[in-house]
This record gives sequence, structure tokens and C-alpha cells, in this order.
Amino acid sequence: MKIQPRQQLLEIWRATTRTSIQNGEWQWGGRDRSNSISDAEQLLCLLAPATEVAAFRLDRPDQTAEDVLGALRDFGDSVEIPRRIVRLLTEYMQRYTDESGTPVFSGGSYFVAPDPARPPTKEQLALDMVDSFSASVTLTLATIGFVRVFRTVVRRDDILAELAALESMASTRLTAAIIGLLRSFSIFVFDADSDEGRRLCRTVNQAGLPERRVLDELRESLREIRAGLRDVTIGVRRVEGLENPNRLFECGWSWGITKGAPQVETVEKIGEQREGVAQAAPYLYFTVLALDGIEDLFSERTRILGLLNDEQVRLSRLLQQRWDLTQQYWSTIASFGTGRWPLEDLPWQTTDGRESDYFSLLVTSVMVQDLPGRRASTADLGRVGLVLNELANRARITRRPFEKDPAVAMHSPGVAFELEGTEELGGPRLSWRASDFAPLLLRRATRIASLLPDTEARSRLLGLADQIWDHLVSRRIREGTARDLWDQPSGAFAGVAEHYQQASWYYTSRVVQCLVTAANIVGNRPLPSELLSGIAKDLLSEAEHLFDQELLGGSTEAGPAMRGTLQEIQTNLRRARTIISDRPGSAMVRVTEALLVLDRLAAAREDMGGAG
Amino acid sequence: MLIFATSDKGGTGRSVTTSNITYRRALQGRDVCYLDFDFGSPTVGAIFSVNSALRGTTKGGLHSYLQGRIPEPQRLDVWSESDRNSLRNKPPGAGRLVLLPGDQGGGEFSSTPETVKRCVKLFLRLEEEFELCMVDLSAGRSYATEIALAATADPEMRMVRSRWLVFHRWTRQHIIAASGLVYGERGIIDIGAARGHDREALRNSIRFVRTAVVDPNSPELAGLRSTQVAWLRDCNTELQELASRYNVGRTVTLGSVPLDPVLQWREQLISDNDVWARQVANQETVQAFDELAKRLTDEQAWEGL
Repeated sequence: MKIQPRQQLLEIWRATTRTSIQNGEWQWGGRDRSNSISDAEQLLCLLAPATEVAAFRLDRPDQTAEDVLGALRDFGDSVEIPRRIVRLLTEYMQRYTDESGTPVFSGGSYFVAPDPARPPTKEQLALDMVDSFSASVTLTLATIGFVRVFRTVVRRDDILAELAALESMASTRLTAAIIGLLRSFSIFVFDADSDEGRRLCRTVNQAGLPERRVLDELRESLREIRAGLRDVTIGVRRVEGLENPNRLFECGWSWGITKGAPQVETVEKIGEQREGVAQAAPYLYFTVLALDGIEDLFSERTRILGLLNDEQVRLSRLLQQRWDLTQQYWSTIASFGTGRWPLEDLPWQTTDGRESDYFSLLVTSVMVQDLPGRRASTADLGRVGLVLNELANRARITRRPFEKDPAVAMHSPGVAFELEGTEELGGPRLSWRASDFAPLLLRRATRIASLLPDTEARSRLLGLADQIWDHLVSRRIREGTARDLWDQPSGAFAGVAEHYQQASWYYTSRVVQCLVTAANIVGNRPLPSELLSGIAKDLLSEAEHLFDQELLGGSTEAGPAMRGTLQEIQTNLRRARTIISDRPGSAMVRVTEALLVLDRLAAAREDMGGAG
Repeated sequence: MLIFATSDKGGTGRSVTTSNITYRRALQGRDVCYLDFDFGSPTVGAIFSVNSALRGTTKGGLHSYLQGRIPEPQRLDVWSESDRNSLRNKPPGAGRLVLLPGDQGGGEFSSTPETVKRCVKLFLRLEEEFELCMVDLSAGRSYATEIALAATADPEMRMVRSRWLVFHRWTRQHIIAASGLVYGERGIIDIGAARGHDREALRNSIRFVRTAVVDPNSPELAGLRSTQVAWLRDCNTELQELASRYNVGRTVTLGSVPLDPVLQWREQLISDNDVWARQVANQETVQAFDELAKRLTDEQAWEGL
């Protein structure tokens, strides 16, 4: 892998503190100004590595590595760093809680108004977004974990009180985010012969079968999911017609709390559960975001550290069920049929009739999350890998763009989609913009690579990851205080006119996420190749046999020179045996070294025989 | 302010490091004095190259004073008494640098209420005159330490701030020993509490100083094989973990002094002359002393967690 996660992450930390701390004060917001999502992303640039990569932990200040401390020098020394982080997290939690104590998940400056002359209203800007729920789940879990560990080394009462207050705020926010996610889940039901139905049919019918047969097969394969969705009631408005097997459906997350979503009963005090206005239909983009965030709720770390309280465990079980159903739904659709997968038919067409390679990437993302659970075959993984490869080409990441290439718009300004329902609060219908194609692609490629047992397919995919990384490196900001951060699309696409001075936390936090994934892959044991293993074992058995012969010949009696040589051989062979199952390549080199020395002895004897 | 310097084991470089810190503090323009409370082996004269008091003074030192034989212990002004050229003549801008040596041939003596009273009197007088009084105690659990803890617990001393430096080398045994000296049975906190100190407050006024530290990432180790460096780095991580477990970790460490040949072979003050003109000592060592001298009174360094 060309990516060097440790060095890169340290560089990002240095840059993040450099650009965020001005005159000793922390500055929220970058290019897209401050809002509940951007600020969480800004914090996650620091906190994601600190919680997910062992080498970057900051919660045990006695054991933090020197280079890690050096990267955060702008914060102070090893004692000051965790305290500054605690203060920043506290500030974030307070900033996004309103006077009534209700956590705020507003999209603010991330909303895009179609007409600059008609800006969004205040009510619109305050709308809670799934993006924020998801980022908050990740951020609050990181916070609670950080506090739990850091607390064990603190003795001062004032700091302990600060930590307790932060933990309780984070926990409240976590509960609120989980409930937000429950209430923004949506099931969209439509007739098979509606526009939506026909589009879905076209997507899944890659073999060109008669429509009736496709519909029958589709219904059959969605039967369990349909049954499962019938039990999904908490926080979701009842949908008519789901029981009717003649109707089709989609499930996933809308952009915010859906219109008419009932309140979720809870014993936790999380303030007001606001009315929603979002259209009750899944958006692929928000579905992927929600799935990513929810995954943190049942990660190994969350379970081991016991980060959730009883109520949160209860609520997150409800989310897990939706996670499973959504995952299964999209995987079923994307790999429907026996021949070519609908996913392989680029670009993906959504049921509301939009087509983009970005949607193909989003569907792939959902599928990739499901693959380890389904124990996907190597062949399936390979196929997804090929789709990613193709997407990288088509998105002009691994190929040069031509003049006025429409693919460039996918990166800058990004894919926009309308947020249906925002207009109900007065003001125009707002849009959302997603420009995270490259980091999303990189993250999925590394993830599949880590699952592939076949070394060749794996190194091919890692090669793709390297190429995407090169693309990302070319999009770094090159000068100013935000240098080394993202995103400067003109670095990769000559046709982009905009030139940015400030960092985009949206983009940078996604790159950080990629590097964290990469760091965890590098941290794992290398994948042993069976071929190498076989050769190493055969070599070792030959070497050991020859060595035994040498001992049988009485070489141990032959004085210090010979004894030294034999000892060296024995040490090499013993070492080889210890490491052969994990690192057959290294073991082989040890054995060949021993074989060489053994053969020198043998050759010397042959010569004697010849002379006689 | 009073700074007490102690260590669990001998040979940590406590005296030589404390002397260097005192010297640096004086160069930074502050008035400082150095009290040789290492009653078993008075050596301060040798470190500061004051030949008239190489192994203690004959004109009535701290031994005689604390035991009530003389009204005032002798004082030596380093800038005028030192026999080393680079120490003679006060550098422009420097503060006073005064030594209070022990008696030549003096030994350990036990603590009595009278000794403690005399000690309090001395501390109070010096506190008025100097910004910092560095008190170099003997290694381990000694009478000197007991006298110091008793004196600082005296009600008359409540307006005088005092802090403790515990020196230890960066090795397994030293880490465990240093932890024992502070937190262990009959350790500083135990004895201090018995003498009337508040445990928490006393604990918060103690910091560790690592001496003769080999930094595995330092360019000075260019001579080592890469395998040795790889191993050394692992050892270092292990020591960090151990130190953290024994409450001797980075968060309670005031600083560390790198291994330096000049300190190792000739226990003496390192002057700027040694670094720049003669180039026998390392710049990093002097930087470490300078840093430590500053942090002695840097409130943030003593805030802790």
C-alpha cells in the first residue's frame, strides 16, 4: 500500500490544529461555515483516529507516543491535550443544545438554496438532518469512550466534574440521535405499474425476462424483508399497502424526521421530539450515512467498553433490525438475478428516475457493508471490486477527464438532490450536495480488499486504492493555514475554476475515515499465501533433514568453528518454524540461509572425495 | 519557594542535575541558593568547583547550624568563590548564586524538635532573600527528608510554597524504586502525612525528573544497529507503561535529562563554554536544564490531572 496512514494522519492533525487554532482560540467551521454537522466533522478529524487506532490514543497521556504529541503541539503538552479536547467536546455539546435542553441536529449552512435571491428561512435552517444524527452517533460514542478511559488517570475533582458533565451531555445527545434515526427511517410503497414500479423492474430485469416473471421472482425474494418491515412500527408512520403482495416497496433513510413520524417513548430526558416534514421515502445518500453511523452502535468497541446504557441498548436494537432489513433489501436488489447484476449495469437508476454513477457507488457501499455478514464468496467480492474499478474510471479518478467532462461535476460541486418537504416551512425547496465520491470509493475499496482471501485479487484492489489515494493527494490544499487538508478539486481537474483557501471538514473528515480504515488493515497480520506456505514447509523439512544428517555425521565434535556454524543453522531453523504459519515468506529466507550454509559444508566434502 | 530534590537510589545524578538547574535559574536572572542537605556525603563544593569546600566546609556548615553549634551557617557566593574560570565573575543579567555547604566530615544526624525549629528559621530567612531555595536531600528515606517534611509542615511555614523533585533513572528498577519512595510505605507522602501535611496537597507538589535518558529516536544513536534501535523502542514503550502503572508517568514528570558524557564522566556544572567553545557537552542537555529551571515555577506544569 502506498498510503502511509500514520504519517498522513499525523500531518492532518498538525494541519487541523494549525488552521483551527487562531490566536490561541479554536475556530469552528471552515469553507462551509459552522453547523452541527461540520463542527462534528471537524472534531472527528481529531477524534476518529484517537479512538479507532491504538497508536493515536490520547486518553492515556502517560503513554501517548512522542510523534503523536508533537503533531498536536498547538494544543500544549500531554496533560493539556486531553483537557483541551474535553473542553472542545463540551463546547460542541453546549453549542448544539437549545434552551429547553433539546439536542440540535440542524443542517444550517450545509443547506443549498436554488435561488440566491430567496434564502432559506430560519425554520428551514434549523431542520434536523440524518447527516447530523449519524455524525453525532459516531462523535458521542467516541466521546463517551474517551471520557471513560481518561477518567481513570484523573485525580483532580474539578476535572472529574468536567468529565462527568461531558459524559452526561454526550449520552443525552446519543439517545436523541438514535431516536432521530428511528424517526427518519421510511418505507415507501408503490404499485408495480407506477413509474417507480416500472423503473425498479427495469433495474432488476437484467436478463430481459417477461415482466410478470421478474415481478414474481422479485416478490419471492423480498418476502422475508416485507414480513420484517411489517414489525417496524416505533417512530414510523404506518404505511398502507405493505401487506399487499402486488405492491412493491423501498426502505431506508429519508433526509430528516419524516412527516407524521410518531414520537418514540423513552425514559431518557432528551427534550422535545420535534415534528418532521421530510418526505417518507428513502434517499440512497442518507441511507448510506445512517448505516455507517448505526454500525458504530454495535461495533466491538462499543460492546467491550459498554458505552450504551440500558435504554440506548433497547433503542439501538430497534435500529439494528432496520439496519439488517435495509442492508438485505438493497443487496437483494443490487445482485438480483442469475446473470449480470443490476449493480453492474452502470449507472444506477433510482425509482424517482435519476441516474448517476454516484448512486451506483452508494448501492455498492450498502452491499459492501453486508458482505462480511453474508460470508460472501471470493467471486462476489471480486465482482464488487470490478464495479469499483469501473466507477473509478468513469468518475475520472483513474482516467483523465476530457474537456467539459460531465463526470467532473460529480466531484465539484457534487451531486445535488432536492430535500422534499423542506418547502413546507415556507421558503424554497432546499437541496443537499454530496461531493464525497472519491473518499467513499477509497473506503469501500480498502474494506473489500481487507476481506479478500485471495492475494492476487487483493493486491489488485489495493492497487486501485493507491490510485484513488494519488487522486486525493492531488486534491489537497497546497498553501495557507489549511494546507495539507482538503478539498481543492482544481488540483485534479483542470476544468474546475474555483480556488479554495479554507478547509472543507465534510471532505477532510471522510479522508480521515479512509486513513483510519487503512491503518487498521495495515495493523492486521499479513494475509499468508498458501503457495508460499507450501514452499516454505517443503524447504524447511528438507533443511531439517539435512541438518539432522549433519548431526548424525558427528559434526558436533568438530571444534569451535563447526559448532558456531551448526548453532547458526539451528537458530535459523528454529526461528523459521516459529513464524512459518504467519509469515511464510520471512520463514523461507531463514531456511534458505540455513540451506546455503549446509550446502557449503556438503560441497566442501564432495571436493575432498574428488581429490581422493 | 523551596524545592526539595530527592531520589530513591544513589547514582541517579540528583546532585549534579539539581546544581545545574540552580545554575541555569541564576543565569535566567533569578536569585537562588543551594542547600546541601546530603548530610552523609557533602559534595556541593566539588560540583561548583569551590575548592575551599570540596568535601564540605571547615568554617561551620549546615551540620553545625542545625545541631545548634553556630548561629549562622556559612554561605559561599559562587560567582566569587568558584575556582573554575567559566563560573567566576557574574555574567551580566544573572542573579545571585549562593551555596550553603555541609560540614567537612559531617555525618547523618537524627531529627529533633530543635533541629526542625532551626531549619524552619533558616528556610524563612532564605525565603525572604531568594526567589528559589534548592534543597538537595540524601538518597532514599533519610533523616534529611524527615527534617524537611517536618519543617515544611510547621505552622510558621504555611505561607512558603514548597515543591518536591524526585530524580530517577529511566530503568525498570529505578521507576519502581522512585514510586516506592513517594507512594510506598514510609514514603514521602506517608511521612509527610504523619507530620501534618495534607496527603493530596503534598502529592500534587511532587514531580519526577528522569535522568540519563537514552531517547531511542535520537540522532545520537546513529551508531546503533537498526535491530538494536527496534528493540530499544520496544523497551521504551514497555517502560512507559510500567511508569504509568506506578504513577510515575509523563503527566507527573517535570522533565527529563538526556544521557550526557560530561555528566557521566565528570560530575560538574555544564557551562555554555562547554557546549559552544569546547563542544564537549551536548546542547540538548543544557536545553533540558534550562527547561527544567523554567518549569519549576511554571504553574501550568504543576497543574496536573
